[in-house]
Amino acid sequence: MDGRLIQLVLGGFATGSIYAALALAIVLVNRATGMINFAQGAMAVFSTYLAWVLVTSGMPPLVAIVVAVGISFPFGALVEKVLIRRFELSDLQTAVVVSIALFMFITGLIGLFWGYGTKQFPSLFPAGAVQVGGVPIGIQSIGTTIVVLAMVVALQLLFKGTKLGLALRAVADNQESSSYSGIPVKFMLLVGWGLAATLGALAGVLVAPKVYLNPIMMDQILVYALAAVVLGGVNSPLGAVVAAWSIGIIENLAGAYVSFIGDDLKIAVPLIAMFLILLVRPQGLFGHKEVVRV
Amino acid sequence: MTKLARFRKLKRLYIPAFVVLLAISPFVFASYVNFQIAMIAVFAVAILGLNIITGYTGQVSLAQTAFVGLGAYTVAFGVNHGWPVIVTFVAAALLPALVGFLVALPAARLRGHSFAIVSIALPIVGIPLALRFPDITGGAFGSSISWMNAPTWMHLANDDFRFYVVIIIATVFFLLAKNLMTGRFQRNFAVVREDELVAAAMGVSPYRHKVLAFTIASMYGGIAGFLYMTLVQFVSPAIFGFSLALQLLAAMIIGGRASILGSLLGGALYVLLPVLIGQVDATQTTLLYGAVLLVILLVVPGGLVRIGDLFNRFRRNPPKDQEWAAPVIDTSPSESSQAAVAPLSVPKP
Repeated sequence: MDGRLIQLVLGGFATGSIYAALALAIVLVNRATGMINFAQGAMAVFSTYLAWVLVTSGMPPLVAIVVAVGISFPFGALVEKVLIRRFELSDLQTAVVVSIALFMFITGLIGLFWGYGTKQFPSLFPAGAVQVGGVPIGIQSIGTTIVVLAMVVALQLLFKGTKLGLALRAVADNQESSSYSGIPVKFMLLVGWGLAATLGALAGVLVAPKVYLNPIMMDQILVYALAAVVLGGVNSPLGAVVAAWSIGIIENLAGAYVSFIGDDLKIAVPLIAMFLILLVRPQGLFGHKEVVRV
Repeated sequence: MTKLARFRKLKRLYIPAFVVLLAISPFVFASYVNFQIAMIAVFAVAILGLNIITGYTGQVSLAQTAFVGLGAYTVAFGVNHGWPVIVTFVAAALLPALVGFLVALPAARLRGHSFAIVSIALPIVGIPLALRFPDITGGAFGSSISWMNAPTWMHLANDDFRFYVVIIIATVFFLLAKNLMTGRFQRNFAVVREDELVAAAMGVSPYRHKVLAFTIASMYGGIAGFLYMTLVQFVSPAIFGFSLALQLLAAMIIGGRASILGSLLGGALYVLLPVLIGQVDATQTTLLYGAVLLVILLVVPGGLVRIGDLFNRFRRNPPKDQEWAAPVIDTSPSESSQAAVAPLSVPKP
């Protein structure tokens, strides 16, 4: 493997990790409430702006980011409690439209508070690169990948190893049965939304140093994350993460090695791949077919 | 006189009045007003198409602006290559329809919100594609054309001629949609929207109807693109902007789902809201759309066309709470067929 290839693959892992964080958030909400939250990206941007406000008020970046990511948990829960709960029983179309409305509303609020200009955002990791097998790899890329990996592992531990995780999974599986067995379903929905907002916020603070902070910085990432969710299967967290990494890597490689595609068209590659894969496997690569009993 | 009869009588009056008003509009109003009226017609057609897939068939689509853009670029290409107007029109309608058909083939296999996710890809891909082929699209500067001038025998100003072209074509396609959406298609689309399993059990293929609805919607998008070029004569990659795609959907929902009149209201909203906000602060368009849309969803989910329901609630004998959908479908056959297939398990497509 030549050095450029390694660089591209690892870079793809890093951007793919950010898609993965947002994709995981979307899967989490979907598993809990059965809706796709188009506002997940906008909520993440909101949290990132909070971190930015804290940093500019003199807080050390690391502390500010931890605080902002922490605040996003109650923020996500609040959104569920105030808005989403009212639409819980409505049809799928309405649920999607509600999240799109929320998306526009939050983006608009950010624009109102902080304007539409770009802002510098501090990175969690130092600039510079380390040599891996004679190839310089950005510390930022490595750090991003590690943070997201750690998060995936932590989430897995939460879901598989704790009572809370078990309850969350039960609610995702069947709300009615869960409530009969004494699980506080509404509380679990709050937790689900809070966790998702936290994951999203993490994606936001990781990507903000790269693209500069602005109200629409997550839009493109949202599209990739959604593509990863569809590709991996809407009900499969692992699938979403793997798909997100693949998207990051494929996008990088296609942009670099296929001259027709180049840097400007590489955004289209994962989306076209999504169309082709869906033709063959509508349930996604890792999703399982849902069988409905009428 | 019963209320209905009074309404009918009124209807006989206001439609001709509306037509007369539109016909004399170029001679009465300032050119800016006429431009805005024609713009409303352009986006009403686009929103009507969006309504066919999202309102009538229940598949949320964020792709409509992509088809408007494709139609507009097709017109720019046709005019630059000296195509006759008719050929340009047919191409601007059929090319988006074809693309929509091809996209729908995989997308329609998805249920519920997945359709929305896939449709989001189209406007996102539009911008880099338009930038990638500057020979065809004019790249970042866009493509400017000069066409659709008034024939000399008409003794009309170009602007007035274009106004009539837009209004007439838009009217024709509104009437077409109105007829299409009052018959068998409307019932089939509605049952696909309400319950795909019931639809399948009734012999109405959800897959085929979703593909059909999306293809029609894309064609309407392309026609809106044609009308847009008739009026504006310029297109740039900005038409694929993500926020425009969101705003078009928001305008449609605010106007009224599954409603022809709602599409017209949506078009008016889409054109006039930015003008109104622009007088205060143009950067707050997104915020206002989001806020209005949330309020509408909470208060009148059926959109502005069903705002009357709000007052009905306070009456002594409130009408039975209806679904947001304006058309009432006869559910008796679907219920019986649902019962008939009860023991079967049907795999989702």
